[in-house]
Amino acid sequence: MSNEEKTSILILDDEAIVLKRLEPALEKAGYEVEVFSRSLDASNRVMERDFDIVITDLKMEGLDGMQFLTQVKERSPVTEVIVITGFATMETAKESFQKGVFDFLAKPFKLGEILETVRKAEAKVKKSRSG
Amino acid sequence: MIKVLELARDRFGLGARARKRLPFSALFANFQKILELNNKILDMMAEMGDMLGGNYIFDRQYIQTACQRGSDLVQKLIYSLNTIVPKKYLVLNDIFRNINNEIEEELAGRLVIPETDYVMPYEFITRDFADVVGAKNANVAELTKQLVLAVPEGFAITTRAFRSFFDHNDLVNKVDAATAAWEEGRLTTEDASRDIRALIMAGSIPPKLNKAVIGALAHLQEVSGVKDLFLAVRSSARGEDSELTFAGQYLSLLNEPQANLLKCYRDVLASTYAASAMEYRRQKGFSEHEVAMAVACQRMIDAKISGVIYTMDPSSSNSEAMVITATWGLGAPIVAGEVKADRFMVSREAPYGVLGLDIVRKTEGLMPREGGGCEFRPIEEGLQTMTSLTDEQVRRIAEAGLMIEKYFKRPQDIEWAIDHDGELVILQARPLNIKSQVAQMVCDISSIVENYPVVFANKGVIAQNGIATGKVFFVNSDEDLDHFPQGAILVSKQTSPRFAKVVKKANGIITDIGSATGHMATIAREFRVPAILGTEVATRLLTPDQEITMDAEDNVVYEGTVKELCYYAFTKELFEETYEYRLLRRVLKRISPLNLLDPHDKNFVPSGCKTFHDITRFIHEKAVEALIDMNYLHHHDMDAPARRLKSDLPLDLVLIDIGGGFSEEVNSRTVPPEEIISLPMRAFLQGLGVPGAWSSAPVSVDFGSFMSSLTRTFSSTLASPRYLGQNLAVISKEYANISLRLGYHFNMIDAYLSKNINDNYAYFRFLGGVTDPARRSRRARFISEILGRNDFRVDLRGDLVVARIKKLGPELMERKVCLLGQLVAFTRQLDVLMSSDQQIEKFVQKFDQLTKNNES
Repeated sequence: MSNEEKTSILILDDEAIVLKRLEPALEKAGYEVEVFSRSLDASNRVMERDFDIVITDLKMEGLDGMQFLTQVKERSPVTEVIVITGFATMETAKESFQKGVFDFLAKPFKLGEILETVRKAEAKVKKSRSG
Repeated sequence: MIKVLELARDRFGLGARARKRLPFSALFANFQKILELNNKILDMMAEMGDMLGGNYIFDRQYIQTACQRGSDLVQKLIYSLNTIVPKKYLVLNDIFRNINNEIEEELAGRLVIPETDYVMPYEFITRDFADVVGAKNANVAELTKQLVLAVPEGFAITTRAFRSFFDHNDLVNKVDAATAAWEEGRLTTEDASRDIRALIMAGSIPPKLNKAVIGALAHLQEVSGVKDLFLAVRSSARGEDSELTFAGQYLSLLNEPQANLLKCYRDVLASTYAASAMEYRRQKGFSEHEVAMAVACQRMIDAKISGVIYTMDPSSSNSEAMVITATWGLGAPIVAGEVKADRFMVSREAPYGVLGLDIVRKTEGLMPREGGGCEFRPIEEGLQTMTSLTDEQVRRIAEAGLMIEKYFKRPQDIEWAIDHDGELVILQARPLNIKSQVAQMVCDISSIVENYPVVFANKGVIAQNGIATGKVFFVNSDEDLDHFPQGAILVSKQTSPRFAKVVKKANGIITDIGSATGHMATIAREFRVPAILGTEVATRLLTPDQEITMDAEDNVVYEGTVKELCYYAFTKELFEETYEYRLLRRVLKRISPLNLLDPHDKNFVPSGCKTFHDITRFIHEKAVEALIDMNYLHHHDMDAPARRLKSDLPLDLVLIDIGGGFSEEVNSRTVPPEEIISLPMRAFLQGLGVPGAWSSAPVSVDFGSFMSSLTRTFSSTLASPRYLGQNLAVISKEYANISLRLGYHFNMIDAYLSKNINDNYAYFRFLGGVTDPARRSRRARFISEILGRNDFRVDLRGDLVVARIKKLGPELMERKVCLLGQLVAFTRQLDVLMSSDQQIEKFVQKFDQLTKNNES
């Protein structure tokens, strides 16, 4: 069972419950998942390796989600970023899309919704990598 | 009860009140606001309830936001009521504040030890009381309540009692000092433990606790029919037996005479601070401040055979077998490893055959001693090498074990006993730790499931998250429910409240029609049964007896039994055990439960409101009452033009225009329908006038009904003069509020009909009148049936029907209001005709025919 075949996902959210629920759900679907609750740790990690998909919250202490998203896209433009947030507004949505986010999900969301979004993002990443 | 004095007072004070009285338009604007807020609150509660199904990922911030939203809505609601009925219900503000404070305390994470009693009999305990009675007590109570398994009779001495013991003996500071010294290394564990235990043992029982325990014992004597009680007194600490198992750390005392109970209680309390327990807590990261000990007091089971069952074999990777150990007498020595016990390997699949056994020589067993305590006694020669369990007993234990496993969604470590009457009693159940074994089996779930054909996926909604396997069992009728097999998956076209009786037997539920916020969803969540509702295709694509696997996480139904998915589910942290889920459940307890059911009940008063839902309901009813009151008291003293309806309908109706309801300023005292511009009013009148709807011939009342009407008093509400008031419609261009007393019943319609789809709604209220209760409620059921079929959300309580529909475009809403008119006309005398339940369907069809005729 080699990990290279699995699509890799990094999740950053300061609420442990979100990580606790997303990680097993995505692993069950066959993804390789790494989770972080502190933006600094996540930031360091993306410097070490690239991920196919990054899921991040916006409002966190320290490096905020918007900055993290920018950092990820700069380092690896082919990585698709999905924003999840409990403070969904038109402004933050617009700003995220301007920064190149793949999709924007407002919390609370259904497990099915995030899985669906991840699958779509995965398709796009695969296409970018092969194209 | 006719409140004559109140009315007289109102009457005499009429002049003074009239000056301060709210203008009609403001009155109705507030009423509309109340209805709108009411709806928003109900929607919010439904949404929060939906979150408990596990299908959503939500965090603490969501819970806070939702509670804040709810709090705002309820406050606005109270304000609106106080505007309509000034000063009368000011106490609602205090009640609201108390409830809101409790919610905020929960959200702030402050440990709220509820103001519960010192003792709680098992009959009253549910899993939500785990903080109060400890996990052990809560689990045992759940087993008997939800799964209907036999458990020892008994009661819990709560964590509140624990706190009161400490307070009464002024121990808090002293114990804090000792634990602080220990945590800082100034005191050894042994010394700290010894000091604290001495303090506890020297303490006296607070009088209130003493009294409560005596009361609980008396209750237990009554319930069991036994005067001389012998009890097992066991620890049930908060946190014990759920995630952190303090197995063996705390004290269990067996076969204690009831006279010793309080002494035993103190002993168990002291054992909280045994050195090994303190070390264990430190290791597990449990703060000493979180310690709260509850105690289980259970009647001793006179066990002939006792033992343990592990629903999965923890010693091997054989996932197909359970292990049962058994011996003669009490089971405690097995757990402590002090006696040899027979060992049975049992299949996890029905009929739970014995796969292997190891019978040992059982030389002695622990038995209760007469007068108290236990002792080891030699087993008679003949029984020593005899198998302690028959195949039948093995089967029963296995079945119970799997039922418990399914309910708690984890392999279980269960202590059981079989008494001298042959009854199986479950003593204790806790999760079994098999993570490492099972993890190996399910390393790549996504590729494992690919081997199984998918019957359907992504249909309907997940009402309760989870994984289930089993055979499909179709439920088409109530008779099917009687044959529902244990462990089957319930498949049905529609949901029905009658399914509640088999839900606990079901491994899963799948329906064609249903929603995540309906009644079925709520029941599935209560029993933690995975449910996928509203699939549309289930009854078509599944076949009876088909073995399937329901993945109610990813919303996939597989053909066949995917065992790996089940094992996978065992290793996952259950969302129900997360802090956020528990927090949401706790705050919802102050929001959703409805205690005020019957507006005519004597507890329908502000102090009867325990939740936001109660307040909402109370305000709703009082607002309606206020409107009716205004009608009765003030209809002849208006500040708005009033005219009498002039039409062929034999209906005495006065209309009051609060803005653009009539076509022109006319001085005439009557108004024909053509001059009424109010959209909802026109639609309603049209419905009233549907040919054939209004049966104008007086219906002959049969003698029985007639006598019934004479001898019984009117229901208190309808006897009240306020209901004898003028039939009244308050209208504006887009609004109408109509109250009608027709025949023997009371109707109220409130509707808003404009171009803006989001503002449109129709609200209908029906309260029945005379003849015997059976006929009255048939009429109410008839009305509910019609309205339900026409997409209204209906609330039926006995003889009161409240229905709502909203957010429809003007044409569609107009048709709905017209339907209400037709319904009101049709049911005018219907109660007298509804002599049997079959009549309901007959009249439903008759009504539908009328509607069709009218539409064509």
